[in-house]
Amino acid sequence: MKLGELKENSEAVVSGISGDARFVGRITSIGLTPGCHISIVKNDKNRPVLLYSRDTMIAVNRKECEGIEVTEVRA
Amino acid sequence: MTATIALLGQPNSGKSTLFNALTGLRQHVGNWPGKTVEKKEGSFTHNGNTYNVADLPGSYSMSANSDEEVITRDFIASGKADVVCILADSSQLERSLFMLADYAGISAPCFLVLNMEDVAREQGKFIDAEAIEKKLGIPVMMFSATDTKAYDKFYATLKRALRERSQINVSALESEYEKIGGYNEIKEQLSDNSVPGYTPMWLTVKYLENDTVVSAKLKNELPKDKMRKIESLSVNSEGAVATGECKFAWIDEILDGAVNGRKEKTSLGKLDRIFTHRIWGKPAVVLTVILGLLASFIPALPVMGIGSLIDMLKNVAAEGLISAGCPDFIRGLICDVIIQSMSYVVKMLGFVFGVTLVFGMLEEVGIMARISYVFDNTMGKLGLQGKSVMPFLVSFGCTMGGAAGARVIDNWGQKVLTIALAWAVPCGAAWSIIPMLSTVFFGAAAPIVIVAILLVMLLHMWITAKIFSRGLVKTEDRYGMIMELPPYHKPKWGSLMRYVLGRTKDTFFRVTKVVLLVCVIFWLLSYAGSSDGNSILYNIGIAIEPVTKFFGLPWQLFLAFIASSVGKEGAVGVISALYTGGSYSAAFSDAMSGGGVAANLNEILLANVSRPEALAFIFAITFNLPCVVALAATYQEIHSVKWTAKIALYYTVTALLLACAAYHIGLLIW
Ligand SMILES: Nc1nc2c(ncn2[C@@H]2O[C@H](COP(=O)(O)OP(=O)(O)OP(=O)(O)O)[C@@H](O)[C@H]2O)c(=O)[nH]1
Repeated sequence: MKLGELKENSEAVVSGISGDARFVGRITSIGLTPGCHISIVKNDKNRPVLLYSRDTMIAVNRKECEGIEVTEVRA
Repeated sequence: MTATIALLGQPNSGKSTLFNALTGLRQHVGNWPGKTVEKKEGSFTHNGNTYNVADLPGSYSMSANSDEEVITRDFIASGKADVVCILADSSQLERSLFMLADYAGISAPCFLVLNMEDVAREQGKFIDAEAIEKKLGIPVMMFSATDTKAYDKFYATLKRALRERSQINVSALESEYEKIGGYNEIKEQLSDNSVPGYTPMWLTVKYLENDTVVSAKLKNELPKDKMRKIESLSVNSEGAVATGECKFAWIDEILDGAVNGRKEKTSLGKLDRIFTHRIWGKPAVVLTVILGLLASFIPALPVMGIGSLIDMLKNVAAEGLISAGCPDFIRGLICDVIIQSMSYVVKMLGFVFGVTLVFGMLEEVGIMARISYVFDNTMGKLGLQGKSVMPFLVSFGCTMGGAAGARVIDNWGQKVLTIALAWAVPCGAAWSIIPMLSTVFFGAAAPIVIVAILLVMLLHMWITAKIFSRGLVKTEDRYGMIMELPPYHKPKWGSLMRYVLGRTKDTFFRVTKVVLLVCVIFWLLSYAGSSDGNSILYNIGIAIEPVTKFFGLPWQLFLAFIASSVGKEGAVGVISALYTGGSYSAAFSDAMSGGGVAANLNEILLANVSRPEALAFIFAITFNLPCVVALAATYQEIHSVKWTAKIALYYTVTALLLACAAYHIGLLIW
């Protein structure tokens, strides 16, 4: 599923990133790479998705979430 | 001995704090040659040695995603820096070491500073810098940039780094890269001096990441057959995913056994629950900015008082010069141009000081990032970042404050666009005139005029965004937000003050030049010598009156409109002087300092100006360029004469067009 579809408080692992080179560069440089664990802190309509990964709170715009594929993990 | 050090680090790693603490007031902000990117340099001496410090612009990596990153790369590869100081945030070590991993393979010697030691300790993390140093092969130190006592350690490590001039040990990283298909084949074609400053490993990785700058360089430098071999290997458009995985795998390996402690919990704090609230977030953010704006007047007022004193000095000086028999022209130049400009500039500096202090603090504390989050979607529709909302709100008070506040926007095009839109927001000076004029002419209908102005403002911003964004914000730069929300930090007043003072000093020099220049031009144009009626401005006004009348502006109002580009407060003074037939050039210079309104202004206006003309005039001055100081402040922030001039011209023209529309609508009504 896409990053934007995750519910608040859910846990997931990034499974794939797709997009142009600049997008991919930006996403990886902020620490989101395949295999990395994330937890969703907030996911409100019309707001960026707030997630927590590698000790960092990160906000990702909804449109950019489309390029980030995730697999939900049950805690 | 003199040495140059370059500072490199991801946002929020503490780079500015370190730079400010090292250089104090010995810093200088300019431009990178031919670029609109800000160049921060400074120097300090320690134990008799002089060190030059370059604060490298840039964001999260060493890729070619922005001008900043390319400049940073080129500077490092040029060998101008004797050593590069790479900063990372100990409290988010894994993520913030990405910069180091991306740097690995560049030939310039470096050392690693693990900043925010205190935060990491509070989190219960223990970091073994020595273990990391052993694996990396470069000096590594724990550090707190905000702790003045920690600097001896920094100097010692700096000295060691300059002596050892070591490079990162990349063998473990390279064995990760070697697992990527095509890596070895590309690297085989490269040699150590294919592109000076970079190792074949680094170039190969960037090529795999589709780095356009690197592939262009390779095409230039490599023999054709080698390049053809490289190009024959198909490169996946998402190569950065694979190399990113390698980099983080390497980072994990480096940190393995060197870091231990508990993992941080992931919940939002109380304040963040309000700021990120679905409903209350926006009001909370707007309220915070408004309170910030009000707070910025507190440090501003004393400085503004000094500005007013200078203004009073003008009259004293004028009397002195007259009694000394000084020629009128010289007196005018000294009093009406030089002293007047200084008074403007000083008053303005008060405001720049206040705004930079308060909003610099909001940035430091971490609130600015929350503002970005809340307004990301709304501002995104205009091609802007969430942070842009802040300059807009500040501009209701003062456009120059808005321009100074736009400093926190990290993308140059978006910064220019933000300032260009902020100009459409009527400032405090406009608000002091509009209600008065509206009431005189339209009585009880005045609120309708004000509502109309606010609606036109929104429309103006929307259209201006459409027009300007094409040239300013490239489609590939129209990213939605991908950013870190840093944890809140206590403001560090010492380093904040140094930053604000440095900024204010810089603004002073740049802005004074612009204000003086514009004031001289205006003064010359309006200078009439001893006999009235032959100033250039007057003659132009009379000559083109047939045209301006079509816009609803008789020559008196048109000249007042022109005067409002210097300062809106002055516009009313100019009308008042022109319609009472007073000395026109004196009125002009008086008006610029905000004085000289006739007591019976209401009657004068009603007797001479029709309602459609009044409506035209109100729209003309409201949407004219805000004032000469805002113009100068804009130039100071965006570093581009071309764009400053474009925006100014655009506003003059649109103000006249709006006046024209208002006039003809007015003619239909009355
Ligand atoms: N507790 C603590 N706070 C620090 C330390 N170093 C920096 N800070 C704070 O961290 C915040 C970010 O620091 P900056 O110096 O603005 O970071 P920067 O890397 O220049 O960030 P940008 O301006 O976004 O590029 C500020 O609030 C600093 O006061 C430190 O060692 N300890």
